[in-house]
Amino acid sequence: MTETTVFTATKIITMNDSQPEASAVAVRGGRILAVGSLDEMEAWGSFSIDNTFCDKVLLPGFVEAHSHSVVGGFWEYPYVGHFDRVAPDGRHITGCRSIAAVIERLRAADADLDDPEEPLIAWGLDPIYFSGESVRAATLDRVSTTRPVYVHHMSGHIVSVNTTLMRHEGIDAESETVGIVKDGSGQPVGELQGMPAIMSVRSVFERLWSSLNASTAKWRFGHIARNAGVTTASELGAAAVTPEAIRQWQLVVNDPAFPARIVIAYSNRFGGPSDPAQMAAQAARLAEHSSDKLRLGTIAKIWLDGSIQGFTARLRWPYYLNGTNGLWYIAPERFREELLAYHNAGLTVHVHANGDEATDLLLDTVEQVLLASPRPDHRHTAQHNQLASADQFRRMARLGMSANMFINHIYYWGDQHLTETVGPERADRMNALATAKRTGVQFSMHSDEMVTPLGGLMLVWSAVNRVTATGQVLGKQERISLHDALRAVTVDAAYQLKMDHEVGTIECGKWADFAVLEADPFAVDAMALKDIPVWGVVLAGKLHPADGRGRE
Amino acid sequence: MTVLGGYLGAGKTSLLNHLLRHNAGRRLAVIVNDFGSINIDVALVESQEGDTFSLANGCICCTLGDDLAMTMTALLKRTAPPEQIIIEASGVADPVRIAHYGTMPGYRLDAIVVLADAETVRQRSQDRYIGATVHHQLLGAELIVMNKVDLVSPATCQAVRQWLGIVAPGARIVEAVCGAIPLALLLDLSLDRMAVTTDVVGDRLVDHRSSYETWSFAKDGSLDGARLRALVEQLPEGILRGKGILTLSDAPTTRTIFQLVGRRWSLKQGEPWDDALPSSQVVLIGLPGSIDAAAFEQALQ
Ligand SMILES: [Zn+2]
Repeated sequence: MTETTVFTATKIITMNDSQPEASAVAVRGGRILAVGSLDEMEAWGSFSIDNTFCDKVLLPGFVEAHSHSVVGGFWEYPYVGHFDRVAPDGRHITGCRSIAAVIERLRAADADLDDPEEPLIAWGLDPIYFSGESVRAATLDRVSTTRPVYVHHMSGHIVSVNTTLMRHEGIDAESETVGIVKDGSGQPVGELQGMPAIMSVRSVFERLWSSLNASTAKWRFGHIARNAGVTTASELGAAAVTPEAIRQWQLVVNDPAFPARIVIAYSNRFGGPSDPAQMAAQAARLAEHSSDKLRLGTIAKIWLDGSIQGFTARLRWPYYLNGTNGLWYIAPERFREELLAYHNAGLTVHVHANGDEATDLLLDTVEQVLLASPRPDHRHTAQHNQLASADQFRRMARLGMSANMFINHIYYWGDQHLTETVGPERADRMNALATAKRTGVQFSMHSDEMVTPLGGLMLVWSAVNRVTATGQVLGKQERISLHDALRAVTVDAAYQLKMDHEVGTIECGKWADFAVLEADPFAVDAMALKDIPVWGVVLAGKLHPADGRGRE
Repeated sequence: MTVLGGYLGAGKTSLLNHLLRHNAGRRLAVIVNDFGSINIDVALVESQEGDTFSLANGCICCTLGDDLAMTMTALLKRTAPPEQIIIEASGVADPVRIAHYGTMPGYRLDAIVVLADAETVRQRSQDRYIGATVHHQLLGAELIVMNKVDLVSPATCQAVRQWLGIVAPGARIVEAVCGAIPLALLLDLSLDRMAVTTDVVGDRLVDHRSSYETWSFAKDGSLDGARLRALVEQLPEGILRGKGILTLSDAPTTRTIFQLVGRRWSLKQGEPWDDALPSSQVVLIGLPGSIDAAAFEQALQ
């Protein structure tokens, strides 16, 4: 008979409303055998006790229903962003809050490289925080005048380079490529905007690109999840689903040392058929590559518009504060065809809709699809859904839809939303979780890693506090309770990934996937939630301590 | 590089198929970024030693490391790179933004061509969701192909043409059935192949010579640069496309390449003449009535 291990803890927060709290959980064959007190475990016969967590708090492992694995590739290189981040190896990386800090970090990285020819690549630069000062060749030449330096901005569309790299790649006053920024005298300044310009430094870009697609990137993504208490993460459509890519996912995720389950959304963004029926058939066929840890063939992703902070989201009237509106990424007719095809193939479709006009199109289209082809329990999910208003949430509820809210935006861009993008009233009701709850829409919350850092505690902190980076509160009335917030990063996120029967609560029969915390979220101040240390995770009963603080 | 834009259903696929069918052995690469257009005749492309690349969904300008830039640079590295590429923009893409890719090293933007469905374009331009997108696409066009004119009455055709003139004042407008327009309007052809002739569309013979006029001019030796520029700047609205391999008096030892698409034109330095005899050749294509051969010739003498 398989052995039974009982983990004891100060407190086990189960997120199972029938049995909200416990002090012991029995695990057999990777699954939860029983939850309760140590005495109650006796019913299952002999067991061994593991006291590793006797002074810790267990939660269901956090579930992230919208993240991207490329971040693991970026971590091959130094991070020079504004906000603090935790590296895959568990090091706490302080944000670079001044240009001097950027230079200092790059100089250190330069000193670490042995080969003098090797380009120095860095990522995460966000010059909007340097009060109008830009980071270009003049700045980066202070890092090195001999080594090519390439800094990828957080926005993803802009790269800063030094003079050496421009010289190597032949970027000069004669360069005609749109997006190579030049000064008044026609000289390039070391800023490349948009892909045509970024491809001017192709050799370095391709080096970065191969890092993003390497298996080490996927491993690091798993470590980032573990460090944040996340046991089920998703790759929401921004990675290839070619046979080679899937083999790589299988090798990495099915490795017993890999600390997370991964759900991969199908998209044909990186190749594949273009006929909707064929896309849906291919998506559904991917299910045969699934395992306990790797899920394919259950969800698909479609993009409708851009991002709010990038001024590319599609907004209802009166649009952005500057009077503009964003971009569609797909024609409405085409969207309907794709949605219908996936819907008929039995997939749950996750639709990127940032602005409220995109949400309208999503709702109109889901309604048409459901009239044409009724289907129970479809769980089609509005992703981001940041400006959805009460009328839209009511419709979502009636259509049986789910919403995955980008609550971290309140902290990371809330200040900009107040003054630059949509103004106070709409900023206050951005990511209106309380409205979702009131109108009966099933909802979860996401980080969109790498757009914001992965992790359930940060999301929960954002949802209950709604505080911006400068400390302003955005829309107090849209705060939700800690209990609802924790549901949204566990079982309710699992629902959108069609895994709520397997993960998301600590409950008999589910996988023994736990987030191990050093403190009880219900016992700390709301503003301290994001700072609760994460010991690591348990995945199918196996312990995965976070690097830098755990123990084997 | 030519960008082919226009909303879903405007006829980009039939125009591309027309182009591939009459391409006559040129090495073309077609990059498709629109999932509405899956009916490109791939066999046709292969038989012409060309390539069709299907690109990913969504916005090619928002993804990290987008397919278009990667595909285009990969094409340049081939042993026999294509002579010209045509990018079929997604039905919601801004063709001007795609045209920026034509400024990448190794490429030259040839033309921004946008199709408009004569039957539906005005209605689409009022659509709640995509009206502004349709307007923006037309506004960015250098050449608008008003397609499917056989499906509307002459009066409607006239009205749509007028409307297009208002919403896209910078564009030249031509009419087409099944996207059948002379290749010379879409591609940078050699001078001897620019002449407008006939096409077979379905089972019908379309004589483009009744819809377009061509003017060719050739002379030994050089032209006066100032006079040429003056002529080009004053060309009538109906001139759609022009090309020339010239010798200008201010640069007598090298070729000067003249390119004109719609209102945009350029003179760029070409190869030196070396041992060849310097000469000047120009071809212009325009709508009927736009070409005044005597006046043009006089202007250049
Ligand atoms: Zn995303």
